[in-house]
Amino acid sequence: MSPRAVLVLLLRLAVGAVLIVAGLLKLRDPTAFATEIANYQLLPAGAAWLAAVLPAVEVVVGASVLALPQAWRRGGAGAALALFVLFTGAVGSAYLRRINIDCGCFGTGGGPIGVLTLVRNLTLTVAALALLRLDRPRPVVLAPTAPAISG
Amino acid sequence: MVPVITRALCLVGAGALLGLALNAVRPNGVRFAAFAPPSACTMSPSGGDAPTPGPVEAMAPHDAAGLCGDASTLIADVRTAADFAQGHVSGAIHLPCTASGQAASAAVDLVRGRQTLVVYGTGTDDARRVADELRQRIRRRDLRIVVVSGGFGAWSQAGLACSSGACAQCAAPAAVSASVAPGPGSPP
Repeated sequence: MSPRAVLVLLLRLAVGAVLIVAGLLKLRDPTAFATEIANYQLLPAGAAWLAAVLPAVEVVVGASVLALPQAWRRGGAGAALALFVLFTGAVGSAYLRRINIDCGCFGTGGGPIGVLTLVRNLTLTVAALALLRLDRPRPVVLAPTAPAISG
Repeated sequence: MVPVITRALCLVGAGALLGLALNAVRPNGVRFAAFAPPSACTMSPSGGDAPTPGPVEAMAPHDAAGLCGDASTLIADVRTAADFAQGHVSGAIHLPCTASGQAASAAVDLVRGRQTLVVYGTGTDDARRVADELRQRIRRRDLRIVVVSGGFGAWSQAGLACSSGACAQCAAPAAVSASVAPGPGSPP
């Protein structure tokens, strides 16, 4: 197994596991998660819908990164990247506005937003981007054809 | 790149449909029509693994008044805007149960650096409701949270300092003028 394949496997495990765990924890209490979303004061009217949809999206995307064939894994990595960019933007916005709220990243009780929350989200974003870049089909190298011998 | 985006959208769409279906069949699913944005009394969800903060104390008005002169004490009034305008404890911020989550978050920010939070309402129960919520939200073991027993009525009857005036920023906690003027319920 090449170093690149090992790195891709580790990235898949990290990104997939984080998404699945986060999604499952949020699924336990969707109403509380809706409150967490509304506390961000970004989309209060859509908080209930996001709370119903986001956890399952995270689980499906996480599972796709872990278990699906490469073509779909790349789609999953792209979706994971979009999710992490969205989450990092929301967390960064709350941090800059100095809103004292729970992150809600892993369901309720995740602790208040701080620099560590931002660093964690940025790390996951970079991991998803790296996975998207590295987990791609190897280019097919054609063997050079032997010159025809004319007689 | 297009196939990647297409597949990503397919996965997100499948997850969204699954989420909506799960939410519809679950007894504790979020109810879209009934869900209300968080207020001062609902801003923190139940549960959580954070350390348990200290308990909320109930205190007689005279004892609570002894805490008020301290700069490390924040006083919060949870009654309606009209009641607050008619008369309130000097220096209190207005934080009714119906205040927005934003106002409540701002109140939480005001508590930073303080050692004591005194909460009062019309009676004891309404103050305790907000105090419990703030306690869960702030999660500081070193913060003393006190509820005034009997509320503002008991405070006024005890002849303790009050002030009055229009509540200009009732949507957000506002520092109230420290000028002392007798409220309608306070003795001369």
